[in-house]
Amino acid sequence: MSENTRKEQDSIPTSKIERSTQFVKTGFKIGGNYVKHYSKKLFNPDLSKDELNESNAADIYESLSQLKGSALKVAQMLSMDKNILPKAYVNQFSQSQYNAPPLSGPLIVQTFRKYYGKTPDKVFDKFDLKSTNAASIGQVHQAFLGEKKLAVKIQYPGVGDSISSDLKLVKPFAFRLLGMSEKELDVYMREVEERLLEETDYELEVRRSLKFSQACSALENVVFPEYYPELSSKRTITMGWLEGLHLKEYLQTDPSQEERNKIGQALWDFYNFQEHELRAVHADPHPGNFLITPEGKLGIIDFGCIKELPDDFYYPFFSLALKGALNDKESTLKAFRELEMILPKDSPQQVEFYYENFSEMIALFTRPYTSGIFDFSKTDFFEQIYAYGDRMARMPEFKQARGVKHFIYINRTNFGLYNILHELKATVKTDTYPPHIKKES
Amino acid sequence: MEIKEKLQDAYISYVLINGEQPKSVFVFAKDNELAEEDFYNYYASFEAIEQDIWLNLLSLAVNEVKAQEVWPQYSAREKALSLFYSFFELLKSRRSFVVFSLNGSTKTLGSPRVLDKLKPLFESFSSEILLEGIESGELMDRAFISRKYKDALWMQFGFVLNFWIKDSSSGFEKTDEAIEKGLTVTFDLFQRSPLDNIFEYGKFLAKNAGIKMPF
Repeated sequence: MSENTRKEQDSIPTSKIERSTQFVKTGFKIGGNYVKHYSKKLFNPDLSKDELNESNAADIYESLSQLKGSALKVAQMLSMDKNILPKAYVNQFSQSQYNAPPLSGPLIVQTFRKYYGKTPDKVFDKFDLKSTNAASIGQVHQAFLGEKKLAVKIQYPGVGDSISSDLKLVKPFAFRLLGMSEKELDVYMREVEERLLEETDYELEVRRSLKFSQACSALENVVFPEYYPELSSKRTITMGWLEGLHLKEYLQTDPSQEERNKIGQALWDFYNFQEHELRAVHADPHPGNFLITPEGKLGIIDFGCIKELPDDFYYPFFSLALKGALNDKESTLKAFRELEMILPKDSPQQVEFYYENFSEMIALFTRPYTSGIFDFSKTDFFEQIYAYGDRMARMPEFKQARGVKHFIYINRTNFGLYNILHELKATVKTDTYPPHIKKES
Repeated sequence: MEIKEKLQDAYISYVLINGEQPKSVFVFAKDNELAEEDFYNYYASFEAIEQDIWLNLLSLAVNEVKAQEVWPQYSAREKALSLFYSFFELLKSRRSFVVFSLNGSTKTLGSPRVLDKLKPLFESFSSEILLEGIESGELMDRAFISRKYKDALWMQFGFVLNFWIKDSSSGFEKTDEAIEKGLTVTFDLFQRSPLDNIFEYGKFLAKNAGIKMPF
């Protein structure tokens, strides 16, 4: 085992591409495991599934452990990753596994008959049986109702089931890898499972999309497609077709700094408006969920993953984001305790240690909030975060997970937002929708 | 013909209500105001009624899929998928009967006898779309093997049927998945594959490389 570990440590994939190939490879291996299992079973019907699960879990474990090291640790530090882990699932189980075979025409017809009682060409005036895009757990088709161009998202059958079973499968390996106890990990796993399962509920997504697009309609430079609840179902969503470019394509058109700032600002406002005014946030800042329209506005096309912020998390967490908040040791400690970053049974030395380290992390992480205007194009900010995480990775004190479960998605959201803004090289005003602070009574 | 249908319906409701076959043809015929010997003019046994019910379900599905506007544009693969989906959708309305019928049926050569009348129709449908597929070049024409393609589809059909009986997912979603994934593999095998190329290459080498193959 120790030899193994050393080997893995020597070859940590560093680039994003390498990292994602890691998951693709695992995807293949797992597919192979299933085939192997069933071909063995042909000859020996008594073969139990345990062996299969073991080989799958081993391959997942292998792939996760390749990601060990600073990336995982930063993440873990920021509690965001316990999020690498979910990301592994999301990538692995909702993408590499489901990306491969598109739904066949007849299956689409079948889905429509099941949920609408008629075939797609009866529901719409025109329906293209060839899909235009893959969504994470489904695919998108173009349709017309009169002159109106629509996007119809159709979910792959059986996604929900496999999420739950896959999560169970990898659990024992995950806690070994992250060095958490099963009980600790359970809290995070449940949070992830809940969010992932919510994503498979398209009826919920439509309700949320309507609510959020309405609530955010006042924001400048942000646009939403129209939603058609009467043409949506448990497995399909119908919305207006939004023309535009994905972030990567947009950046290739070489937009001016001004335009990029405009998009960046729209993105920042969209997120902070939700976090501080709606207390519930689009928790999947994946570049694929945004479009930049020909008018240079930000289009938001996916409300599958929404994280709600309860008061007992929101107030202590954002009280730390205020300028100068960290100078007040008393109230900072109080917030850390409420967020379970410092635990009741910690010794005074431990309290001191975690106080210092978490303060440093938060000071770093909230820098955009405290600066008024922040230039996300600077790499040194990101380098500092990673360097900090690297240092943490070598401290045994951080092997243990700390922080309430809400950190997973909030950190994923904010860090994802930072990353997109970095790619945009945007400079944004960060005080447009400031956090609310609970008045001490 | 009408009486046949009446007998089918009466048989289905009897079976569903009582959970078993009628005690005897005599009793069943009497309940339907027929003399026993008249019953035999239509059916030789209860099993024959069940076979007809199965046959009707499939022919209904076949007619339904062929009536679709997109039908002519579908590839052989999509045609097969379409039939499977439609058939299992239809089967839903008769699920209790289907489960009863399959569980009570004896098997000959692997497939339940209640499917005896359905099988020829399924095979002629399969041969038809497979032939189209081969003619259009979608599927690979392999000596000796391509005649067996339809048997592979029949096996697939039996597999999905068994799967559906045991499926407890809501809306039988898993069955949809089984159909989609299963037929994809089957048709992938029917298509030109690396194996064909290896075989071709082997043939070429055997003829031209001057090497005596060791077999």
